[in-house]
Amino acid sequence: MSKKILFALIGGFMLVCSNAKADVDTAKAEAFIKEVTHEGIVEIINAKATQAEKDARFEKLFNSALDLKFIGKFVLGRYWRTATEEQREEFIDVYRKLNVQTWSKRFDEFKGKEFVFEGTSPSSSKGQIFVNTIVPMEQAQPASVIWRVKQDGETFKIVDIIIENVSLAITARNEYTAFIKKSPDGINGLIADLKKKISQ
Amino acid sequence: MKKRYIALVTAFSLLSPVALASDNDGWLETYNRAMFDFNYQIDKYTLKPLAKGYRAITNQDVRNRVSSFITNTKEPVSFANHTLQGNFKNALISVGRFLINSTLGLAGTFDVASGWGLKGKRTGFDETLATYCVPDGPFFIAPFFGPFTLRSAVGYGVDAYTDPVYWAAINDKNYSDKITWSYLGLNIITSREKALDLTDDLEKNSVDFYATMKSAYLQNRQKLNKCQSVTETPSYDFDFEDEDY
Repeated sequence: MSKKILFALIGGFMLVCSNAKADVDTAKAEAFIKEVTHEGIVEIINAKATQAEKDARFEKLFNSALDLKFIGKFVLGRYWRTATEEQREEFIDVYRKLNVQTWSKRFDEFKGKEFVFEGTSPSSSKGQIFVNTIVPMEQAQPASVIWRVKQDGETFKIVDIIIENVSLAITARNEYTAFIKKSPDGINGLIADLKKKISQ
Repeated sequence: MKKRYIALVTAFSLLSPVALASDNDGWLETYNRAMFDFNYQIDKYTLKPLAKGYRAITNQDVRNRVSSFITNTKEPVSFANHTLQGNFKNALISVGRFLINSTLGLAGTFDVASGWGLKGKRTGFDETLATYCVPDGPFFIAPFFGPFTLRSAVGYGVDAYTDPVYWAAINDKNYSDKITWSYLGLNIITSREKALDLTDDLEKNSVDFYATMKSAYLQNRQKLNKCQSVTETPSYDFDFEDEDY
């Protein structure tokens, strides 16, 4: 192999690497998460408002910050491909409702706490990045919370939250696909069960 | 008594045929789900009510003091394992914490050392094995104890055996059993109390509680993986397009 070809290959490789790194604006991604966590803590958790008002604010923040359709597609795994358009829409709808309900309560646990930003890490997926934060705890070691952010043009969305190395997207996928596999009604059984959880 | 229970855990983890199988739709998953249900019933009628009772009769400050005391008793175990892992700085911190908190911290009930900048990092034999690239092994549910992997079960057994309270107990012929069981009970109840809200929340929102618990448990353990190469992506950096992930 001549030197010219070797240099061309190295040059090409470096170009690919630099493009891969440049496909997400790291500063803007981090600023986006700072904005979301600030809004969540200051304007929802610590705000002097009724619980109903807080829930409404949380739902608005949740829907604008997370790409639930993107996550929902992953969460259903191979069953997304076999699902009808109606089943997909219904699943995303109940999945969104259950998450809003669950997280509006879980988010309250961050009362009096703060997110300390520790930079970003690259993702192997194009257009995505991890924003690393820790939450100092009184009686324990700080909890690690990593936000997976997807950039689409100038829009940023959260596509996964990783708490203490536990990805919420992977956990939901493992849970839902295990349920569908065992349920005689398949995806419809899952949707029915999720509806039950929401109404509880 | 504690000897027997340690022997039980260690023997179970070493001799169990789970070493030969993986939890993937086969008999092991059937066993795990059955054992999970069994443990769930035990928890529902014994541990959970006890943990709730403990929460009801104590305030957060008292619980913090108890938790601090237990954490302090584990410092020698952390010291030994930090040393085995070659992490001498953390080993020295563990020694410092133990000496300061055992004395000025009134038998460990107050974490004085943290206030002086000596923040603790708990570790155990499971993490030591991970440092030497010992694989995690299969996942299984142990009766009464809950989820384990082969490596975590061995780590649990060794940590229990090297716990200084255990050695203090066997040297006291008159109160050996009382010390052992009281300490074990305190450990279990405080751990269960801390997990009350989390487990209630997971159970309430899960359509398959076993699958959720297993997934979260195994993912959390990935952070112990010390033998990952620098170029390897972390476990949570999956491809969203991969429908078989």
